[in-house]
Amino acid sequence: MPGALVVENISKRFATSAGALAALEGVSLAVPQGRFVSIIGPSGCGKSTLFGVVGGLVPDYEGRVLIDGAPVHGTHDDIGMVFQEESTFPWLTVLENIMFPLDARGMARNECRERAERLVHLVGLDGFGNSYPAELSGGMRQRTAIARTLAAEPKILLMDEPFAALDEQTRLLLGDKLLQIWRELAQTTLLITHSITEAVQLSDEVVVMTYRPGRIKRVIPIDLPRPRSSEIVESAAFGRLVGTIWHDLREEALRGLAQTEPQGVSH
Amino acid sequence: MATTLTNFNRAPLHWFAPVTRVRALTLLAAALVWEGVARSGWLYEGVVPPLTAVARAFVVLLVTGDTYHHLAVTAWEVAAGFGIGLVAGIAFGILMGARPFFGRAMAPYVDGLATAPKIIFLPIVMLLFGVGITSKIALGALSAFFPVTLNTAAGMHGISPVLIRVGRSFRLSRAQMVRMIYLPALRGSIIVSMRLGLGVAIIGVLLAEIKLADRGLGFLAIDHYNQFRIPDMYALLLFIFILAIGANVLIGRLSPRR
Ligand SMILES: Nc1ncnc2c1ncn2[C@@H]1O[C@H](COP(=O)(O)OP(=O)(O)OP(=O)(O)O)[C@@H](O)[C@H]1O
Ligand SMILES: [Mg+2]
Repeated sequence: MPGALVVENISKRFATSAGALAALEGVSLAVPQGRFVSIIGPSGCGKSTLFGVVGGLVPDYEGRVLIDGAPVHGTHDDIGMVFQEESTFPWLTVLENIMFPLDARGMARNECRERAERLVHLVGLDGFGNSYPAELSGGMRQRTAIARTLAAEPKILLMDEPFAALDEQTRLLLGDKLLQIWRELAQTTLLITHSITEAVQLSDEVVVMTYRPGRIKRVIPIDLPRPRSSEIVESAAFGRLVGTIWHDLREEALRGLAQTEPQGVSH
Repeated sequence: MATTLTNFNRAPLHWFAPVTRVRALTLLAAALVWEGVARSGWLYEGVVPPLTAVARAFVVLLVTGDTYHHLAVTAWEVAAGFGIGLVAGIAFGILMGARPFFGRAMAPYVDGLATAPKIIFLPIVMLLFGVGITSKIALGALSAFFPVTLNTAAGMHGISPVLIRVGRSFRLSRAQMVRMIYLPALRGSIIVSMRLGLGVAIIGVLLAEIKLADRGLGFLAIDHYNQFRIPDMYALLLFIFILAIGANVLIGRLSPRR
């Protein structure tokens, strides 16, 4: 299953009330087929913007997005997106949420249902298929959103801080779940996160971004053995990698803080 | 929202519950005052006829086939007008919400016309559609259109933008966007729209009938008035009142929750 993602020299400016804002500047990165890459950067550095550009939801950017070497424009069947915000449809049950993209493609009802039931199991929501999102915890809702995206069987999975709203323990355990799914489906995965432990726990490579305008600061390979489980956080190698990333990230986070703080105080 | 009131009304009450008793007493008191005024001779006797006369007229009204003929005409006008106004209002409201530029361009007109009494359109509607049923339907539709549009457009603003992005990322067509995201997300707004829309559609149709018609309950009411059949007129108003409550209860059954 191909699904190599290349991002080439992406720049994106927003017109804001305070003038043009450079959100991304010359961002290039490659996620080889079947690899798991994480992007980490301070809040407001343009991670979601990059996610939107790659997923085809953000227009008017410079640079190119390529899937298997072919440039793509706009949304694409090979790309599945999991959003940062709460995104399950509250009027649908877990099962119906997961069936949503299949329904949209006109897949036969029982085939739809079968695939959705497999995904309910895959994300560990057995027994909750007929629950509504409001009856679930935040983590369960996010797993529903992930299963819904997986249902469309994208070759490339983009996730924008899917576990940002969750506590650290839940996040580590959902990380295990995610790795298990990734092993099973072998999707090319680009995960955006602001958690260093999450990035190291899951990835083959961690890309550190600079604060505005968002550029690539450094790419750090994560050479920890696979398969991994969340117990890896205890290892010394894990700690060293977290330290390395924090060293780079700290500078950017401080820059971000310095730029936003005066405004924050003034109003 | 108004759910507290609705729940309150819907709560199962025994006939002897305090609220029920107060409600019954209020009705009884009103009836007594009415009857007192009717018998006192303070007012010209025809204006406030004795309740017995109204009751008798009500029974006659219920057993007269003609009543149902007029009712059928009005019901058809209301249903058609409401239906047209509802569908057009939902479509226009969705358009206003989905295309913010268009929404901003239209907002002053929709807001302005929404507050204007729709009866001012009656002459135009009569010119366009004549004095028959069609002009009543048109006025009903016009009345329902504005509150439905306003409510739908407001509901569109309430839809979380990420849900739209989910739809786009799954590459939904425009029609799928409407069917699979906008309409279900607007469920609550649409039910509120239906209540408001039905109410004003009934008003619009009855007003048009009262002004100029040869059929329908509104026509019948003004005909009773013109012929000075005052008890019959009150009986008919009671009849219309009960029907309107019934229609509202039916729509209230559609729960806006979830
Ligand atoms: N539609 C937009 N219009 C104007 N400015 C925008 C828009 N979207 C994002 N921005 C700006 O671009 C910058 C990057 O935003 P983005 O959402 O990509 O950050 P992020 O890295 O995802 O942050 P977070 O970690 O908080 O989610 C921010 O300064 C933001 O204010
Ligand atoms: Mg973001």
